[in-house]
Amino acid sequence: MANRRSFIAGMFAAGALPRATWAQVGSPAFLSAGMAPDGTFVLCGLSRDGQITFQRSLPARGHAAAAHPVRAEAVAFARRPGTFAIVLDCATGTQTAQLDAPYGRHFYGHGAFSPDGDLLFTTENDFDAGRGVIGVWDVSDGYRRLGEVGSGGVGPHDIKLMPDGASLVIANGGIETHPETGRTKLNIPTMRPNLSYIDFDGQLLDQIELDPAHRKNSIRHLAVSAQGSVVFAMQWQGDLTEDLPLLGVHNSTAGTVDLVGDASVQTMNGYLGSVAVSRNGAQIATTSPRSGTLQIFEGPTLRSETRLRDICGVAATDTGFYATTGTGLAVAPSGQRVAHPVAWDNHLVPI
Amino acid sequence: MRHLLSAIVIALSSPAGADGADIRAIVVGHILPGYQILATEAADLAATAASECAPNSPDLIADFNTAFDAWVSVSHLRFGPSEQQDRAFALAFWPDTRGSIPKALATLLGDQDPAVSDPDAFAEVSIAARGFYALEFLLFDPQFAPGDNPEYHCALVQAITGDIALISAAIHDDWRGGYGDVMSDAGNDTYRTPTEAAQQLFTALSTGLEFTANARIGRPLGTFDRPRPNRAEARRSGRSLSHVILSLTATKDLSALMSADSAAVAEAFDTALQRAEALDDPIFAGAADPQGRLRIEVLQQEINDIRQLLAESVGPSLGIAAGFNSLDGD
Repeated sequence: MANRRSFIAGMFAAGALPRATWAQVGSPAFLSAGMAPDGTFVLCGLSRDGQITFQRSLPARGHAAAAHPVRAEAVAFARRPGTFAIVLDCATGTQTAQLDAPYGRHFYGHGAFSPDGDLLFTTENDFDAGRGVIGVWDVSDGYRRLGEVGSGGVGPHDIKLMPDGASLVIANGGIETHPETGRTKLNIPTMRPNLSYIDFDGQLLDQIELDPAHRKNSIRHLAVSAQGSVVFAMQWQGDLTEDLPLLGVHNSTAGTVDLVGDASVQTMNGYLGSVAVSRNGAQIATTSPRSGTLQIFEGPTLRSETRLRDICGVAATDTGFYATTGTGLAVAPSGQRVAHPVAWDNHLVPI
Repeated sequence: MRHLLSAIVIALSSPAGADGADIRAIVVGHILPGYQILATEAADLAATAASECAPNSPDLIADFNTAFDAWVSVSHLRFGPSEQQDRAFALAFWPDTRGSIPKALATLLGDQDPAVSDPDAFAEVSIAARGFYALEFLLFDPQFAPGDNPEYHCALVQAITGDIALISAAIHDDWRGGYGDVMSDAGNDTYRTPTEAAQQLFTALSTGLEFTANARIGRPLGTFDRPRPNRAEARRSGRSLSHVILSLTATKDLSALMSADSAAVAEAFDTALQRAEALDDPIFAGAADPQGRLRIEVLQQEINDIRQLLAESVGPSLGIAAGFNSLDGD
């Protein structure tokens, strides 16, 4: 097996032969970063029945990952303000390349591929300018950096490909940070989060800002349905005595924004950690590790609420939503749980 | 006096809650006195400015310092009344990463904006032109000396001090007039359980220490290749190091109340406080010098160590699990 693996790795390096596709590797179904019992950080593949298919160490804490649309390959990003991202062969968990943020930039922890998988887009902080940028990487040329474009705001966090295959949606959280001051939020009184849509050349196509009462609602995480509805999950930076919705749905075709009142500052302790949407857009799941809650919505209607300590990662599957917790649980849509000695980090990435 | 007050309050207050922290004792012994001192000192500052508004007035400068001390001593209590209507930000717009304070002040001065004569109108001006940090520019930065228009400069000093007094009184009133009970008597929409109230206090404590380490010390430190001593907090009035000491003193008081007077926690604070007091670098000018820098970095590390100690020793006893995701903030 080791021989075959190194043989394949050799072929990859030479770029001579096509690489393994998702169909060929069969599993895993999800990726998640985590922390091992010895306090070191890892990236794992998880199968549909909640078993770990591979586990590899990371140099520091990870956050989210992006799955290549064709090849069995994914990019795992460092937690902000990290400057590394690792390209993995998902069949084996072997590292095939590494991305380093250029001087003066750090990653925010999310990224998205173009439909053909030739380009990777990463959310980054141009921290001396206090400006969000999207790094553009040439996948076919060993993840070479091609350049960057503006994100349309400050503190871009999540980024997703739109179903038109030609544009991206970006959650500009609005919060300015600088690596010199760690994760300290520097601009809460003046923050202005937005949802920005850009094409692959960086042209701003559309931008949504909620009304001023929501100005301290940092738009962080995104999920996009096949029809192009963009579900956005927010983190409230104001006082917890105010009760505002933390979840919204933007339909860019209809030009509507619907806020979901049941996922609110008070029900979800001011903080949504992850969001997922079923392919047809009918069901939405969101988590709050702070209130230890998973909410599932049918349209705007709250259908179920599950309490689990430190729940955060959530992903849509054909049969419902899969979730993970910081206490090591992988929870299937049926409610069946598998416990692992790994504290699962924020995001469960479907592949 | 404050310590005596805390001691009496603890003796008279209800027994410790299920989670080990007596929330009412903290509200009555730590939060209310802190905001009361701020309200009193801010009122004194406004009263002094009403009669003596020139930057060279020793009385005005003395009251500025006392009121600013009172603010820094509650600046870790960033929840509830201080966060409503952006009150805390209107008192303390710092860090000012984009240089908004001098810009906003220059606009007011250039336009001779009449908002200075009406407290309601002044409450609507740029938040960067309000509060202690804007006032510091007017009193200490030569660029904002009264110059050829002392009348407007004076009116602006009076508007800012009056605004500080109103906000400080409003925060204290809200704490006294309801929020203190909301926090102490959990089982309401804001705090469903005493654990949630304890978590809020613990978050405030931890975030307060993080702010002191990362912003108050981290901003002037910058990086080794590019130190930024000019970014030190309130350096114009020579208060940068003093803010670190005031904040450590206040968070030490809160930590003692939350940790049942843990000796290890008190010792960790004392170590950092002694180092800060021995630093002899009031505005962190040493950030630019390798030796001075090292001493500041050691202080910063000691404050981070306190946070770590609190997370390991105090957090769990309050029912606060070190949540991998819940404490991540991403």
